[in-house]
Amino acid sequence: MNHRENIDRSFDGQLSPEEWDALQAAVIADPELRRDYVEKRWIHALLETQSESLPSLLAETPPAPTAIAVARPFLWLSAAAALVFFCATLFLMADRRSDDFVATLIEAKDCRWAGSDLPTVEGAGLGTGTLALMEGMATIRFKSGATVTLEAPGILVVESAMKCRLLEGSVVADVPESAHGFTIDTPKMEVIDLGTRFGVTTTPLGNSNVFVFEGEVKVRQGESPGATHLFAGHSLVGATDPQPDEDQEVRRSEPLPSPGDGWTPVSTATGRGGDAYVRRGDAHGPTGGHPLLMVKHTDLAANNERRALLTFDLSSLTPAQIGDARLALKMESSGLGFSSLVPDSSFAVYGIAEGNPDDWSEESLLWENAGPLVEESLSESIARRLTTFEIRKGSPNSLIETRSDALTEFLRAHRGELVSLLIVRETGESDKQGLVHAFASKEHPTSPAPTLWIQTEK
Amino acid sequence: MAETSPDQTAENYLQLLNQHEKSLAAYVYALVNDRHDAEDIIQSCKLTMWKQFAQFEPGSHFVAWARRIALHQILNYRRSAKRKPLYSIDPAFIEAVAAEIDREGDTYSARSEALQECLKQLPENQRRLVLLRYYEDHDISSIAQETDRTETAVYKLLSRVRSALNDCVTARLNAPAS
Repeated sequence: MNHRENIDRSFDGQLSPEEWDALQAAVIADPELRRDYVEKRWIHALLETQSESLPSLLAETPPAPTAIAVARPFLWLSAAAALVFFCATLFLMADRRSDDFVATLIEAKDCRWAGSDLPTVEGAGLGTGTLALMEGMATIRFKSGATVTLEAPGILVVESAMKCRLLEGSVVADVPESAHGFTIDTPKMEVIDLGTRFGVTTTPLGNSNVFVFEGEVKVRQGESPGATHLFAGHSLVGATDPQPDEDQEVRRSEPLPSPGDGWTPVSTATGRGGDAYVRRGDAHGPTGGHPLLMVKHTDLAANNERRALLTFDLSSLTPAQIGDARLALKMESSGLGFSSLVPDSSFAVYGIAEGNPDDWSEESLLWENAGPLVEESLSESIARRLTTFEIRKGSPNSLIETRSDALTEFLRAHRGELVSLLIVRETGESDKQGLVHAFASKEHPTSPAPTLWIQTEK
Repeated sequence: MAETSPDQTAENYLQLLNQHEKSLAAYVYALVNDRHDAEDIIQSCKLTMWKQFAQFEPGSHFVAWARRIALHQILNYRRSAKRKPLYSIDPAFIEAVAAEIDREGDTYSARSEALQECLKQLPENQRRLVLLRYYEDHDISSIAQETDRTETAVYKLLSRVRSALNDCVTARLNAPAS
């Protein structure tokens, strides 16, 4: 078999599956063939990468004339041909540009885009293509009348007036009568509207959840031919793969950027520290080993209330050493809920008085046994409100840092080795499917654990 | 205290992305057969890189870092369940090819400059073929119809065009800078 010839044919989809498998095996085994493959593949890849600029590149300069003397009449001809060709190309490009817009970007709130291949200014007409949103929230009205709000970070592929594909992130869709049948595709499922308002989230692993706020949707999953019908107030959580983590080989190198010289980090992974969150109803048991600390406040669905407890081991420091202190938390996507349904949110950090409770450990902490930590309003004798921070609607997953004199004093006054802080969201939501905020725990594979930075030297 | 504001961080990121986006895209196109899969992967890469930008060490090689993330995305890519892949890809193949690409480092700008010059030397009929295949994204059989050729003739010609471009690019890369 001629592998070299097959290299080229593979770029154009001209190989049978067997021939392709044989080529792959040969490329793996033979370094010289591998070199040839890569060299040829580069040409193909460069042409793909520059496809958009090919028309101008190829139309601008006519081919270098060879054999000038004889070719005079032909030159004329070829110049004319080039001109016709050039116009045809221009027409093609223009055609592409005005190519029936299938949607309009009607609102782009605090948006930052990761080089999307569609226009990203408010009011822009959108053809088919991809929108990658780093920050903010963008609303798109499809020609069919369906409105879709994309929350950052997220990637949405606009496919037609009746269809889009959510590769990652969350959308809320509002679909009027005129657009029944509007479809949102995800790597694992297809959600078909039957007159409704609904939300879809897709995690970076491709797992998807659907929530129906009003009306009805039809969901098709994977290869299975059957569809599930979902009605208002119901959700469908896609099967989760036992895949470990998202980016295992991008390891964290250092815990966190240090505030400066003389600051000592103490994270929940230090010594006997720990971190966990509790959820009313304890539907999933203790969460100590979970990579995310989830926090939510709601007056609409009591069992979705979540609080996080952080414990730091300060045994290596004496109170006198503590100059100043900051708490650092890395925000993460929880994949649960929609940020368009929660306003800018404020959070409070409480210091737990010593001995309250004495015996919680992250392996066994539950809402049920968390006693005074999960009271609706925390008693001043048990928990002191030390500091607050705010997370704005649609803001990116950044690093949160918060400090206050009360936090420093609390740490200084503490006599035991362990101190515990409780994180509570104080802002509620306008719909039961509002966003669940999340922070990296010490089990998170790539992000830093909750950390107290303590100034030990001036 | 050397702290960058969130705005500054985003600016830094977008600047680096802008500078190296094409190089990253070429890397993905070199490893992924299906153009639409490649486009999806490129977009997810940009977002993942942004999410992990805190772990990027300023001053280190952005393209190398981006390639690591892209390779991971490629190996873990799941396409939409309804699109059947034309070819099944062996992860060992991807890794072998990626290692070969990395051996040369980031040659994108030199190669792409050379290619632009080489494209200008193509005769008319070959230019048209390149446009049909790469700009309009037509497959071999529709190109055959449009140009009134057999499919075999089309891919032989395409193969010749790519070989010519490859020879021309290689010659330019090896030529001493004039």
